[in-house]
Formats: sequence, C-alpha cells, structure tokens
Amino acid sequence: MSAEPLIRLRGVQKYYNDYHALRGIDLDIAEGEFFSLLGPSGCGKTTLLRTIAGFEDVSDGSVMLAGQDMGGVPPNKRPTNMVFQSYAIFPHLSVAQNVAFGLRKRSDLNAQARDALVAEALDMVGLDGFGARAAHALSGGQRQRVALARALVLRPKVLLLDEPLSALDKKMREQMQVELIRLQRQVGITFILVTHDQEEALVMSDRIAVMFDGSVAQIAEAEALYRRPTSRRVAEFIGVMNFLPASVVHEDVSIAGLGSIPLTALQGTASTDGAPMVGLRPETATLLFDGQTAPDREAQGTVTEVVYYGDMTYYDIALEGAETPIRLSMRNVFGRPVLERGASARFAWSPGAVTLFR
Amino acid sequence: MLRGYTIAFLIFLYAPILLLPVFAFNDGTVIAFPLDGFTTKWFAQLWTNTELHGALGNSLFVASVSAVLSVLLGLAAARANIRYRFPAKAAAMGLIMVPLVLPEIIVATSLLVVVVRLLDWDLSLWTVVAAHVLICTPFAIAILNASFQSLDPALEEAAIDLGYTRPETFRLITLPLIMPGIVAALLISFTISLDEFIIAFFLTGAEPTLPVYIWSLLRFPRQIPVVMALGTILMAVSILILILAELSRRRGLRRAGVKDGGGFL
Repeated sequence: MSAEPLIRLRGVQKYYNDYHALRGIDLDIAEGEFFSLLGPSGCGKTTLLRTIAGFEDVSDGSVMLAGQDMGGVPPNKRPTNMVFQSYAIFPHLSVAQNVAFGLRKRSDLNAQARDALVAEALDMVGLDGFGARAAHALSGGQRQRVALARALVLRPKVLLLDEPLSALDKKMREQMQVELIRLQRQVGITFILVTHDQEEALVMSDRIAVMFDGSVAQIAEAEALYRRPTSRRVAEFIGVMNFLPASVVHEDVSIAGLGSIPLTALQGTASTDGAPMVGLRPETATLLFDGQTAPDREAQGTVTEVVYYGDMTYYDIALEGAETPIRLSMRNVFGRPVLERGASARFAWSPGAVTLFR
Repeated sequence: MLRGYTIAFLIFLYAPILLLPVFAFNDGTVIAFPLDGFTTKWFAQLWTNTELHGALGNSLFVASVSAVLSVLLGLAAARANIRYRFPAKAAAMGLIMVPLVLPEIIVATSLLVVVVRLLDWDLSLWTVVAAHVLICTPFAIAILNASFQSLDPALEEAAIDLGYTRPETFRLITLPLIMPGIVAALLISFTISLDEFIIAFFLTGAEPTLPVYIWSLLRFPRQIPVVMALGTILMAVSILILILAELSRRRGLRRAGVKDGGGFL
C-alpha cells in the first residue's frame, strides 16, 4: 500500500437519533484489495458499507474515494456498485435487461455495444445463454450471479457486497466463495464484503476489519487475525480458542492446569477487559499415544466429552487445577475418534502457540 | 352440518340479488310469482330513457374522477406508510382509514353542513366527488399498502446504485411493479363510487347520479321492472370489475414473486 489508498475513511461517525451506530471509523483500503468487514449483527458493518455506497450520510468525518471527498455525493454519482443481500433483481425484467440496466445510462454505448458487454458479463459469472430468462424464474445462486454481473458490467472502482452469500445453502456458499475470489482476481476491482461469517472472511479476504459496537477492533490479514488477535473479543469471535486463567509473576506466566512458561516464549500478548487469561487454539495441541514423547511441553487429563465432526473430532480434556476442560481437535486419520469419554489423555502443547490476554 | 349451514348462508346472502335478473326478464309490472313470461322490453326502455343516460353519465364522471384522485392520494399515503418512519404515523394512518367504518349517513350529513353552511358552495357533482374521494381513499390505501409491502426496498436502491435518479427509479422500477395494485385500486374505487347512494343523495345538486336516479324511479310502481333491468346490468358490471381487480392484484403478487397472503376481497 505504497500509493494513495482508493478508499480513505477518517473519523466516520453515524448517529440515528440517540443511537451511535458508527463510532469514529478510520480505514484505508487499497486498489484491487479484497477487504472484509466482519462482525456480529448490529456491529455497524452494513451501515459502514452503506456510507461508502452513499445510502447513508455520515454524521461526522469523511469518506474519500479515489482522492475525492464523497460528502453530499448521491449513490448514483459514486463510482461504487452494490450487490444487495436480497440481490434486488428487478422481477419484471429479463436477465439481460437486468444486467443492461446500468449500461442504459451510458450514452456512449449503442445497443450493439451494450449487448456485447451484457453477454460478456453473463459469461463471466457462468450464466452464458441465460439472457432471455425471466428474472423471477431463477434459483438463489443464479440471482446472486445476475446481481454480480449487473454490478460488474459497469466496471465500478469498488464493488460492495452486503452479506451476499448468507441466503445460500452451505455447499453453494462454499462454491460461490471460490468463484468470488476468482472473479475478483479476474476483474481486479476492489471488493468490500460485509459478513458475519468469520470462516467466509478468512477464506476470501486479503484483509479483514473486525467490528464490534460501531468500532473497528482489529484490521489484519486472515492469518494474523487468527494467530495474533489483539484483544480477547476478537480471539473469541474468530474460530475456537481455549481460555485458561493465568497469572504473571515476574518474567513468567503461570497457567492453571498447564504450569508455568516464560513470557518470552509466548506467541503474543493481547488486551482483555477481564482477569488475565491465556488462549490456546484446539489444533495447536497434539494428543500423544502410548510411548510417544512430547517435543515441547506435556500435560495430562481426563476426556469429558468427544464431539465428532466427520473429518475431525473435538476432545474436551479436564486438567487438574483448571475449572473448565481444555478443547483439543484432531483429524480423524484413523477414521474414527481415538479416545472415549472417561479415558485418560496425554497431549503435547507449545508455549509458542499461547497468547496472553492481560 | 357445516355444509348445510354454508349453503343456507349463501342462499340467504345471494338469493335476493338473484331475483334481480329474474324479474328484469319478467313480462309483468307486479313483482311476484308466478312469473308472466319472458321479455326484454324493460331493457329496451332503458335504452330510450334520456334522463337515465344523463344520470349514467354523471355517475361515470364522478366515479372516474373519484377513482383517479383516491389512487393518487392513496399512492402517496401508502408509500409514506411503508417506507418512512415519522411522528404520529399510526395515528395519522388510523384517521385516514376511519371512513372505512364510519356510517355513511354521518359522513353525508356532516359534509352537507360543511359544504352548504360553512363553505357556502353550490351542490354539484364536484361536491359528490370530494366526498367519494374521502370514502374511496382508505380502500385505495389498503390495496396499495400491500403493493408497497411486497416491494423490496432494495429494488429502488439498486436502481439508484446503478446510476438512476429517484424520479427515474420511480418510473422504471416502482411504477411497473405496483401497477397491478394501482389498477386494482382504481377499479375498486370506481365501483364503490358508482354504487354509493347516501352521500350522493345528500350532496348531489340538480344532477342525480345513477343510484339517486334509481331511487327516484322507485316512487312509480310501473317503473320497478325497469329498475330491475338496470340493477341487473349494474350487478354484472360490478362483478366484472371486481374480478378484473382481483386478477390484477394476483398478477402483481406473481410478478413480485411473493406468496399470496389472502386476497383483499
């Protein structure tokens, strides 16, 4: 991000009467980036997207797009296009008419040029030959593709996607995730995606902004967000994490049930509103079989729960000195879970995978 | 048991109406059984009655103007009701809808007082139009509310997002999608105005509407079969219009891709 960012938000505030929806958002998004706004419902992510599109005015602060202040610029004059959560396909028009709708405003195009662009856009989203279909006769996935084609055919500087996959079933969603990534690489347009699905954000985005209560909690690439959350709230929202009570004594951290490790060995430290804790992802610990020895640190406990997921299994293991059991995951390489409830378990863990929250 | 009750109920409801065509084609001036034979002369008399034609013209004028004005007002009110939040909205909408249940005799009397005493206007077809707009607008709003309700607000936003202005969006997206609702509201308002008697009787001046004219005919027993013939035609036209209105409403729902939540009728 050496050049001027394509989108620059500074101190964006939004009030609805007494409700403070956006509390000072600063954000730079580079050209060609796939950026996600991730957060629980009501965190302000959709409001933020709509302020970029121009459907909401900002109460304070500025929205800059390609170096121009967007204050007072209506949505139809902004170089952005949106894919709506409901897709908003015009039901009285055919697929081709839907895709051509925005092009009709461009006086430099004759009907032939328009048709060519529409055909190209439909081909790009895999709807080649669907042009004559009535819009209301399409499936959910097809509507989604029409909405994408209708927006992308205009070659906007920024494509805004408001929970575009939430109405699709799981299989379809995973398929569309991959297709969206492919599309974005193909057209090179900046995508801003709003989602409450952390997995979706991790899979698709170059960078992710995690939002809570109208503020951005952390902006990071997917891996950094997962491995180095800066606060306990982000760590809890992204993936699964074990939290164990801890206390810091001089240069060491004492972890309930796991013992003591030096501060210098930790993966990182982050903030929390509550008591000091350490966090450990389930996949960073490894179950040990008889005779195996740990390369790093070792711990022992009793299996209290086995949660089978098909490809992997969660094992909850109660440790001596810790109130809540620690959750470990293991891929089912033997086809089925390797431990039963009540069995005693030994596992290896690494201080380098532990985050301290204090 | 339930089936018997239903049949009895339907007979009670519709038998009197079915008597209209029976006596309209009866060759006798006395409305009684047994019938005296088949004739179409009462219909022929309608054809030559110039007073009747005048009344019909008045009614068509009043009904057309009332329907158009009611739907224009209804469009504005229904859109505001569905799309916007504003103070005292529930109260405002409630007051607009009250004429649906207000006894017409009260509306008629109070309007007569206002028009004649307070405003000192002459009674004319326009005073009837004004009153009919008052009673037709709630029906138009009820139908158009449903149209706007089934219209995804994102559709209008999508058009604006694609580069169109608000007026263009209304013309290209909103209007086509709610057009079936508008047609239904026009037809229903037209029918209500066409059939309305009490208000028209109070507020019409020297130019009677059709129901008022029919009432004046009832003083002459020999004219009753003519009234029956006229009633038969009105009934057929009303049923036709209501069917068209319902078809239009359903077409609108299909177009918007939503399930039918029960008809207005």
